[in-house]
Amino acid sequence: MIKKVFEKPLNFLETILFLDFIKGMSITIKQAFTKTITTHYPYEKLTPPKRFRGFFGHKTVNGLEPQPAFDEWVERMKIEPRPGQSRCVVCYLCKKACPVPDLFEIDGKKLENGKKVVSVFNMNLMLCTFCGLCVDACPVDCLFQSDIHETASFSRKDAILNLEKLEAIGKSWQDRREHEPDRIWIDDDARQALWRENKLNLKKVDNA
Amino acid sequence: MSIVALGIIIAIKVVIILAIILGIGAYLTLVERKVAAHIQRRPGPMVVGWHGLLQPLADGIKLLTKEDILPSSANQVLYNLAIIMALVPASLVFAVVPFGPEIHVFGYDIKPILTDVNIGIIMAFAFGSLAVYGVALSGWASNSKYALIGALRKAGIIISYEVVITFAALGPIMLAKSLSTYDIVMAQIHQKVWYIFLQPISFVVFVFALLAETGRVPFDIQEAEAELVTGFTVEYGGMKFGLFPLVEWYVEVLSLSSILTVLYLGGWSPINIPFVGFIDPLFFLGPWSGFIWFIIKVTILFLLVLWLHWTLPRYRIDQITTIAWKVMLPLALFNILITTFIAPLLRG
Repeated sequence: MIKKVFEKPLNFLETILFLDFIKGMSITIKQAFTKTITTHYPYEKLTPPKRFRGFFGHKTVNGLEPQPAFDEWVERMKIEPRPGQSRCVVCYLCKKACPVPDLFEIDGKKLENGKKVVSVFNMNLMLCTFCGLCVDACPVDCLFQSDIHETASFSRKDAILNLEKLEAIGKSWQDRREHEPDRIWIDDDARQALWRENKLNLKKVDNA
Repeated sequence: MSIVALGIIIAIKVVIILAIILGIGAYLTLVERKVAAHIQRRPGPMVVGWHGLLQPLADGIKLLTKEDILPSSANQVLYNLAIIMALVPASLVFAVVPFGPEIHVFGYDIKPILTDVNIGIIMAFAFGSLAVYGVALSGWASNSKYALIGALRKAGIIISYEVVITFAALGPIMLAKSLSTYDIVMAQIHQKVWYIFLQPISFVVFVFALLAETGRVPFDIQEAEAELVTGFTVEYGGMKFGLFPLVEWYVEVLSLSSILTVLYLGGWSPINIPFVGFIDPLFFLGPWSGFIWFIIKVTILFLLVLWLHWTLPRYRIDQITTIAWKVMLPLALFNILITTFIAPLLRG
């Protein structure tokens, strides 16, 4: 059954005194004299939460790899792990998981000692939907999405992330945010502090 | 007064009035954006100049340097004529607006009104009605369905509310026994009463008609950003596009606010206590206080219009015309009926 809901009709006195107009206008005038809550974007920037799906990056070998997955994959793919370089094991799982596999261009090279390292890792972000399936597929927590959200560029070339860029993004991420606990948006204290500057308190959510 | 002096005085008046209309009209865009922003808890333009004070200049430069595109299927003559037909009548209304009392400058008695014709109010409404040509022509010449729908809606609104606004204005005219804008203000000063106190119904009807004629919320159905992509201006670009909102939202609001001030708020007269007299907190300015009072009144009216605009949602077109013909017009006629009994009681 469809329940019909109508707004309460104004009575005659309310109509001729424009009570509905006055109600709305009192709200807007109150808002007009309160402080603004905007961020002046190019001059002030909000930090996205840690789980933000921004530009991609390659985490580097720094001793914090997921174990024993990393050692297993290194052994299986015969990879030479180099500290400070990409963790990539050239398993192609990200490319398999991708809805648009063409955007990945991955290749490895053989070293003289018979082991492999990643040599080519290009991502064409013109085709990317930032869905994160490749990140979920990565077995060694190498490919990840950073908090870089200003993706505009002057040429299409800039939209292609090569291995150097990915490693640079990964290194800066590990310096800046690796140690933050993994939180969702609303109970992120860093973010909450930014909102508090603007005198707006978001409700705390009880996750228990 | 010699003919040369008269010519010079009129030329000065024309220059001052045009400068006021176009200069203030341009800066009202900034006022509107600031008010709208703060109602929505945004700061508005902040980058160009101190708190965006140079934003209108930047906007003007941007609009002027844009490419002038003529739609391939548009009628070129009507397309350009529409802009003139929108701008000129709206500006001409200021010819009959008295900005202040008579002043003495360099030995001349000067009325701060361009032409004190004895049918000033009728002239103002005639020019107001001419504005529909600008809109209708722009809609027709653009050869676009959105523009045409917007123009038809606007034409429907203006035709409805022209009738209403004229009947509403009949009340003050009957009380003042004059059609000259200058004489209407003088009548209010002599009778020691602003006509808003004697004509509250007529005042409300006039404010509604003002909002409708200028395409302000809740009557901005010809703009209807969501459905009509700003209606009749959709095929215009650059400064041609900039002129339509300038005329409709600022020049017309200013001119009709001035007429409303003249009719109901006693023009340049200071604060009024009905039938007792006037209180002038700005007495120290001498004869110039009149101008300040006129500016204050028009400013308050303009801010009221902005406040309404950024508060209310819009009516549908059928609701707008229903209000015009079934509510506002009977109210205006009822007001005239009452006024016929009040008018003989006033001395003047």
